[in-house]
Amino acid sequence: MSITTASKPARIDGRRLRSERTKQLIIEAYLALLRENPVMPMPTAARIAERAGYSVRSIFERFPDLNKLRAAAADYQLAQAAALAPPRNIDGDRATRIKSQVETRAGTCERGVALWRVLIFSVDEDEELKPRVRTARERTIERMEIMYRPELSTLSERDRKHMLIALEAITDIESWARMRELYGLSFEEACGVWIRAIDRMLPPTPPTPSN
Amino acid sequence: MALPSPSQDGRRLRSERTKQSIMDAYIELLREKPDVPTAAQIAARAGISTRSVFERFVDLKGLSLSTLDYAFAMGEAQAVVRDVDGDRPTRLRSHVETRAHTCERWLPVWRVVVANQGKMEELRDRVRFIRQAIVKRVELMYRPELGVLSAEERRDLLIALEALIDFESWARMRDGHGLSFEEACSVWMRMIDRMLPPTPPSRDE
Repeated sequence: MSITTASKPARIDGRRLRSERTKQLIIEAYLALLRENPVMPMPTAARIAERAGYSVRSIFERFPDLNKLRAAAADYQLAQAAALAPPRNIDGDRATRIKSQVETRAGTCERGVALWRVLIFSVDEDEELKPRVRTARERTIERMEIMYRPELSTLSERDRKHMLIALEAITDIESWARMRELYGLSFEEACGVWIRAIDRMLPPTPPTPSN
Repeated sequence: MALPSPSQDGRRLRSERTKQSIMDAYIELLREKPDVPTAAQIAARAGISTRSVFERFVDLKGLSLSTLDYAFAMGEAQAVVRDVDGDRPTRLRSHVETRAHTCERWLPVWRVVVANQGKMEELRDRVRFIRQAIVKRVELMYRPELGVLSAEERRDLLIALEALIDFESWARMRDGHGLSFEEACSVWMRMIDRMLPPTPPSRDE
């Protein structure tokens, strides 16, 4: 293998890496604009480009249209939620698990509410958003299945399903946003509301096999 | 002061009826498609001219707000308070079924209102008002149970109950999880029952 051919893939990788980095910065610029001005669900390409520090052409070289950018932002946020919110304390006692799940979920809601609203309000007009919204909801439910496994295991399949539906409703992003925006609760106070509600909803924790 | 003549009364009545038919047309269109309709679409559905619409409403914003107030009044009239003094299961069933019917009927309208609230301060106020009405109904139906809680605990529980019985929570049970009306009511009833504290003995017990 000659030196020329050996160095070629490295150069292509570098370009690809830079392009991916640009894509990410464009997505981050879009998300930042959404958080700053939630009334404007789709800022103009010019504003996104300006915020990201690129040309408008750079945006459309990476995203065929702004709907694709919105879908990519949803993927980015889903990946970020998974990376920043790994399950913790799954073997803890009931109080520890509830606190851990609620605080993790609260962090995800706090970071994701602006984009979530855009997704929910645009989901009927953009088929690409439907699976992403579904995935986000499924992940919330899966997480609760992991965190509350001991309590859920005491329920019949039907009751477990219904319990998870209700838990997901209580811990919906909009439920979080209302506590923060409408009722003016602090992060800790809002977590407290969810912690107490979930504790009341869950059945008693069964004794562990070693007890 | 001169009393209005019968012909003036008749004209006013007809005008009120036209106004109502415009708002009914608006609501019908919202139920079919989750977008704010144009004045021309509303007029066509109501069977009148666009000019007639603007003779009765200053602009589309005014019509939208009047329609929302009209829809809220209808929703309230349909959601009659029943069984306030019933036992716990009776109150739970009555409250949940009433709320569920409201969600079934008004979800499409609610969605458009929520989607557009960022554009109009008046819409935001109305969304807040409607949420308050939902919470007030919960307070009324579960007064005995809520009465045993401290102010802070009561506030927290009301916030959680409101999240549980939100329009979108109902929509997910019905559309997302495919539950029947009765199954979805049963989920809400069981969960509210779990969340409420024990019912205190009544005074005459």
